Amino acid sequence: MKRFAILALSFYTAIPAIAQEDPFETVITPAFSPVTWERLVNAAEEPENWMMYSGTLDSQRYSRLDQITKSNVSELEMKWSYQIPVIDRAETVPTVVDGIMFITEAPSNLAAVDAQSGRVYWRYDHELPDDLRICCGRNNRGVAILGETLFMSTLDAHLVAIDARTGNVLWDVEVADYQAGYSKTAAPLIVKDKVVTGIAGGEFGIRGFIDAYDPVTGELEWRTYAIPGPGEPGNDSWSGDSWKTGGAATWITGSYDPDLNLIYWGTGNPGPDWNGDVRLGDNLYSDSALALNGDTGEIAWHFQFTPHDVHDYDSIQVPILADIQYQGSTRKVMMWANRNAFYYTIDRATGEFLEGKAYASQTWAQGLDANGRPIRVPGMAPTYEGILVSPPIVGATNWYSPGYSQQTGLFYVTSFDGEQEFFKRDEDYEEGERYTGGGGRYNQPMDAFHSSIRAINPATAEIEWEFPIMPRSSAGITTTAGGIVFTGSADGYFFALDAATGEELWHISLGARVHAAPMTFAVDGKQFVTIASGNVVYTFGLKDD
Amino acid sequence: MGLNSNSRYSCLLAFATACLVLAANLSQAEDAGNLYNTNFDINAGERYFERQCSRCHGFDAKGNDETGAPDLTGRLSRASTEVGIFNIIRGGVPGTAMLPVAADLPDAQIWQLVAFIGSLSTNPANIDLPGSASAGGRLFNGKAECNGCHMVGGQGGRLGPDLSRVGERRDPEELLSDMLSPHQDVDPRWWTLRVTGRDGVVREGLRMNEDSFSLRIMDADSNLWSYPKNQIDSFLRVEESTMPSYTQTLNDSEIDDLVAYLFSLRKEN
Repeated sequence: MKRFAILALSFYTAIPAIAQEDPFETVITPAFSPVTWERLVNAAEEPENWMMYSGTLDSQRYSRLDQITKSNVSELEMKWSYQIPVIDRAETVPTVVDGIMFITEAPSNLAAVDAQSGRVYWRYDHELPDDLRICCGRNNRGVAILGETLFMSTLDAHLVAIDARTGNVLWDVEVADYQAGYSKTAAPLIVKDKVVTGIAGGEFGIRGFIDAYDPVTGELEWRTYAIPGPGEPGNDSWSGDSWKTGGAATWITGSYDPDLNLIYWGTGNPGPDWNGDVRLGDNLYSDSALALNGDTGEIAWHFQFTPHDVHDYDSIQVPILADIQYQGSTRKVMMWANRNAFYYTIDRATGEFLEGKAYASQTWAQGLDANGRPIRVPGMAPTYEGILVSPPIVGATNWYSPGYSQQTGLFYVTSFDGEQEFFKRDEDYEEGERYTGGGGRYNQPMDAFHSSIRAINPATAEIEWEFPIMPRSSAGITTTAGGIVFTGSADGYFFALDAATGEELWHISLGARVHAAPMTFAVDGKQFVTIASGNVVYTFGLKDD
Repeated sequence: MGLNSNSRYSCLLAFATACLVLAANLSQAEDAGNLYNTNFDINAGERYFERQCSRCHGFDAKGNDETGAPDLTGRLSRASTEVGIFNIIRGGVPGTAMLPVAADLPDAQIWQLVAFIGSLSTNPANIDLPGSASAGGRLFNGKAECNGCHMVGGQGGRLGPDLSRVGERRDPEELLSDMLSPHQDVDPRWWTLRVTGRDGVVREGLRMNEDSFSLRIMDADSNLWSYPKNQIDSFLRVEESTMPSYTQTLNDSEIDDLVAYLFSLRKEN
């Protein structure tokens, strides 16, 4: 794509040579063209763009870009940095379309910058009320785009449509009542002609749901509750009226399979988090993967990773979809490394459990049965006095994106081997107040634990390699056709590993904790890779010739 | 943190007195200090804290570097008085994840929370110690040879933590434990790293910093060494303190004196 940078170059350096011809000859298109649904379905085929939170609808975070390779990645240099003006931690994964990068910022803001220079086109500052109810920080993780419209979640539980060319607000709808504890932090997902989006607030006794909105009008098209109502299958997995305040928030972005027309979305912990006495039963569909019909939102199947969870083991992970060789045939699978420390390979057409094993330290389950249901170790529920359990509340992994490489067939996850004392408390539900029923406490310094990047074979659930890093990373992972795994660390590094072996290829100290996942894109034939660290967005590329 | 009922040192529960001292320069409306300061109030504040505050500040109120929520068990960086703490709870800290509490939350409940936070740090006015701080100071720089490794006021060694304000972050029970059982709960900063280079040379030193890709140590001669992890042969962590236990070298009375001295090491002193 040719852009303004080329125009400027032509004017100031090349005019004598080409002025007698057409000085504007090299200017073909301006930045940014509308993003159709077809472009999103085929996003892998235009790897110069990163058009959604996880790169492609299957959320593999695998880019076909191969200019940056295992051989030259050590030559990466910083091209630009963008300082987010509000000081907070950045969990954003920028979106790039035809040379424009869209960066979400804490608390609920958005900027459009030139992807080659990091300089601003426009910014949108969302006005927030001063009595927000949020559990875990002022975060925003990214946007979705369809046509010329960006869709962003906000902390006051709104969904906002923003003109991608100007930053003007097209519509702004309330998804739920923030004063009741609802909030929104995740990037929406475009599915055909709808904006699909989840909800946060699992620590406030909400009732989680997944919504679909009309991208033009902002009207709600369908809502699927993550907790069944009375008369619906699964409602009897909650004692009494506990389903009304059972949590099961849906606070990270899902995936979509166009062939099966199924949306895949994770659900969070049942509430109250650490006191299960008031919600006896399996508590469906908390801590589950839901497969929803792409047109109606109807639940096609579910897989509950942690029935009757009492440790806050949200299944808020991005589902990775791939077709893999499994026991001699090609299977359409979903790969999932769960916060509960178990890795799962699941048939994504049916929800059938195929493989699963612990991939990180855990003491709460003896293993998984033939259906993938955990076999619990007795006596590991939180107590009033406190009981030591692994993984800790933050989990063996969490919301940060895993990755998958089409080259190696391996699944990559940032994992944490830790433990924590879990406490139970008695609480009554009050709207808008925290409803967690306890908490946790570390009894060792963080440096005594271990984190690592682990590569898992989805056909066997075995760990193929691991690369140790200091605890506790909350960085996501991106893989490329250059044979590279890009990720970050809690101590402020951005680094590249050999996707096949886990060998370190390159690292750079960015100084501040990486809370985000990297992404890669190209402009004018040059590949770049971007990562947020602290509240700065950095973009790296190879040295110019 | 805080003193328990089996404490070797008696804690004077003169909370109201302390509040009046703290409230000396406050506005008229706040001059009465915190009237919600009984054990009942502290317990009520703790319950509120566990429910509303612990997600960021931790169930033990010791903070969380990931959320950026500070440790509330020692000297607070944003408030030095109970009214200051009250105002932060009521109004939040603008531009951070520290949001205001619900507008309709009664002041009394906030004061209970203030009382609980106050109970997490030890007010020296409430502590009656058996030892002599001045005698402890002489021991520190003399027979016990503490100053060989520790600095106080810029004087002393580099092989242990600077103790110039240790009384603000460690209560007497913890100071006693530090001296008698130095290998318990060692801050990773004071672990030892034994690094073997590719040339086979081994260097050992205090773990000044370790991150995912590098190590930094200070050896016994105060030399500073930095190693990229990918350019060494191996390294070993020794997760113990280099400090000896004083159970055999000092008697109970001398240990009491040292505790009194260390607890007196505060900013105001």
